[in-house]
Amino acid sequence: MGLRPIFSALMRNGAGAILVAIQIALTLAIVVNAVFVTEQRVTKIGRDSGMDDQNIFAVPVTSFEKNHDFFAMVRNDLAMLREMPGVVDAAPTTQVPLSGGGSSTQFYSLPEKKGEKSPVAYYNTDEHGVNTLGVKLVDGKTFAATEIEFRPKDAQGLPGTAIVTRAFAEVLFPKDKEHLVGKTFYDDQGKPTVIVGVIEQMHGAWVGWDKLDRVMLSPLVGPGPGIRYLVRTEPGQIDSVMSAVEVALRKRDPNRVVGKLRSMQNFKQSSYSSDSLMAVTLSVVTGLVLVFSALGIFGLATFNVNTRTRQIGTRRAVGARKRDIVSYFMAENWMVTTLGVVVGCVMALGVGFWLSNQYGLPRLDLYFLVGGVLGLWALGQLAAWQPARRAAKVSPAMATRSV
Amino acid sequence: MFAYYLRLSLQSFRRNPGLTALMIMAIALGISVCMVTLTSYRAAARIPLPDKNDLLYVPNIDSWDPENPYDKDKPGNAPDLQTYRDTRALYASTIPDRKLMMFKAGGVLSGGNKMVPEYVSARMTTGDFFPMFETPFLFGSGWNAKADEGPEPVVVLSKETNEKAFGGANSVGKTVLWHDREFRVVGVLNDWEPAPKFFDVSNGSFDDPEEIYVPFTWGQIMELGSDGNTNCWKTEDIQSYQDFLNSECIWFENWVELRTPAKVAAYRKFLDDYVIEQKSKGRFQRPLNNHLYTIEGWMERNQVVGTDNKAMLIMAFAFLAVCLVNTVGLLLAKFLNAAPVAGVRRALGASRRDIFWQHLTESGVVAVAGGLAGGLLGVAGIWALRAWYGRFVQDLERVLPTDFGTFVIAVGISLAAGLIAGFYPAWRIGRAAPASYLKVQ
Repeated sequence: MGLRPIFSALMRNGAGAILVAIQIALTLAIVVNAVFVTEQRVTKIGRDSGMDDQNIFAVPVTSFEKNHDFFAMVRNDLAMLREMPGVVDAAPTTQVPLSGGGSSTQFYSLPEKKGEKSPVAYYNTDEHGVNTLGVKLVDGKTFAATEIEFRPKDAQGLPGTAIVTRAFAEVLFPKDKEHLVGKTFYDDQGKPTVIVGVIEQMHGAWVGWDKLDRVMLSPLVGPGPGIRYLVRTEPGQIDSVMSAVEVALRKRDPNRVVGKLRSMQNFKQSSYSSDSLMAVTLSVVTGLVLVFSALGIFGLATFNVNTRTRQIGTRRAVGARKRDIVSYFMAENWMVTTLGVVVGCVMALGVGFWLSNQYGLPRLDLYFLVGGVLGLWALGQLAAWQPARRAAKVSPAMATRSV
Repeated sequence: MFAYYLRLSLQSFRRNPGLTALMIMAIALGISVCMVTLTSYRAAARIPLPDKNDLLYVPNIDSWDPENPYDKDKPGNAPDLQTYRDTRALYASTIPDRKLMMFKAGGVLSGGNKMVPEYVSARMTTGDFFPMFETPFLFGSGWNAKADEGPEPVVVLSKETNEKAFGGANSVGKTVLWHDREFRVVGVLNDWEPAPKFFDVSNGSFDDPEEIYVPFTWGQIMELGSDGNTNCWKTEDIQSYQDFLNSECIWFENWVELRTPAKVAAYRKFLDDYVIEQKSKGRFQRPLNNHLYTIEGWMERNQVVGTDNKAMLIMAFAFLAVCLVNTVGLLLAKFLNAAPVAGVRRALGASRRDIFWQHLTESGVVAVAGGLAGGLLGVAGIWALRAWYGRFVQDLERVLPTDFGTFVIAVGISLAAGLIAGFYPAWRIGRAAPASYLKVQ
């Protein structure tokens, strides 16, 4: 069967076909870009933070009365927290990883701002920090209790030792990635810090930062008056432990402020909320667009069949088999879809290029375009299948009847 | 005639209820998706204090690292905050009609008769803050320039804080303790929750406003650090709070009110002169890069409307386009299917125009039905969006309002879109020659 007669028949009643083609073109442009962006966001949200982030929560406390012994408060609070049922471990921190709030600073592999350099997000904690975060130490050891500096107000500078992520250490010492423990790096005033432990993987403060996995833990507590405790619980017990901890902290020392308890999961979801919203919105739009395109193709194919009952009957009467009728309509649909897909490819690339240019989104990956084209071809054929089957059922006797 | 066309439309819908429902749904979904994205876009793009857009300015000077721009992606931007020295120097200018300097701090508030001690966020600022940003007062007022100089131990509470500390009673003249120091309440704000939080976009454009307001100079007396962003670039030996204040670290913001173009020009010159003078002292080694932003310009520079927001809006309107093309196709199919009826009406004397209007009415009815359904779906969508964000942000009503305006816009867009969608099919059917349809009957 030649495609030419189908094509010329199409051209005679072009408006409907062109509308379907436009719809398919727009659908391809939207779907390809939406799926591409969604896929990136989902990957971003699903990254491993390196921490036991499901089972950690944070509680801020602030001492405010004059002569309130801040360090005694921290020591006693933490000792109590570590004894509580359901608690794996607890540690002090300045900020909560993944929360969007934090501090970063720049380090160099050589003194006097020489050698390799890298920024790093840092957290001040104690010897329980590594276990509380649930990060995996791949080399070296965690801080010793004697190493922790309880720092009064106005003291400055770094303590001299640190546990760092592999990602950070490897940027500073790219030539000796096997022996990172014991290496010394320097701040911008040339003060040295020695690596005592290396963490396999840990996320820092800002999920939108491309150096999210460069993190440093410092053996430092204070100065007050505010601090946060991180608490890691047994799996599944976070909710009950959170309420127990709130009560226990208030009871142990009423002369300070216990702030709002918040799980790391909540911080994480909040930090990724714009990404997840984008992913959800785009998925919904993608789904709807596909459904409507399919319905549109289906509707128009049905209409075409209805208006051509006599023509189909005539063809059947002069010898066309059912199979011929089905393939006629499928071929017609395929031609329309192809026209739409060709235009759609250009549009999809245009939109992708424009989005990446205008808004700094990454350039559209061509695999997504290929997938979109194949998908829409399949969708078009699926949507036309039922009307085409119905057309094949038209009896040859229709040729002699009026509509 | 219109009523008759309406009746015909309804009859036509009854003939093909599935197809009609499909068209209405297509428009409704397209409209609702647009409505949701438009709401979040409009929320972000709203310009606070539109009347003051040509009065209020943010001075912005580039004290950053000579070797690296503040923002590598936008090297033309100066840092969004100032050093302590510079914020004081800019505040000292007598050109502006009003001026303020500020930073964000925090600390424990106690001492009110109903107060359970609590950590509260504080805006350390100067007295002009209140008239410049037109903050509404429930009780009392802000403080004057004399209180800034003292500084006097005065405080303005947010409405919520006043409720916590004094049960909502008029607390002017009463005292609270902040950082264990006594402050006298001079004013209580009424509900004031600008979204976006235009006066502190560097710490979160949609953050809640601060809970108390305290004269700026207390910050230095009490040696308070920033509760927001602090950024430093320079190698400096910082041993004390005073060293920190004198460092090149940035955490302050200035705003000025300039009522005449002459003052704007004079203030620009003041900024340039100041930077040039500082250059001679070895600071400001970057090229002269001063800006004086309006509120709108400041929102734009800080990308308060995120790129995601824009991309989603574009996607939403593209989706609406698909829905409309879909509807055009379905309407065309439907009308041509019923062409014989139109043929009979033409033969009985209806003019082409009558047929056209009849079918356009039908399209309009579909559009309005789709618009109303879409408006309702859109409101539901906005609720869903609020539920989504509600886990992280309190008080979403102000960030994502469902106003009647958006609903009207939705129905309006829908009607316009429906009529555009119906135009071609109605024209096409109106043009069809009656004879060809009558033959087969």
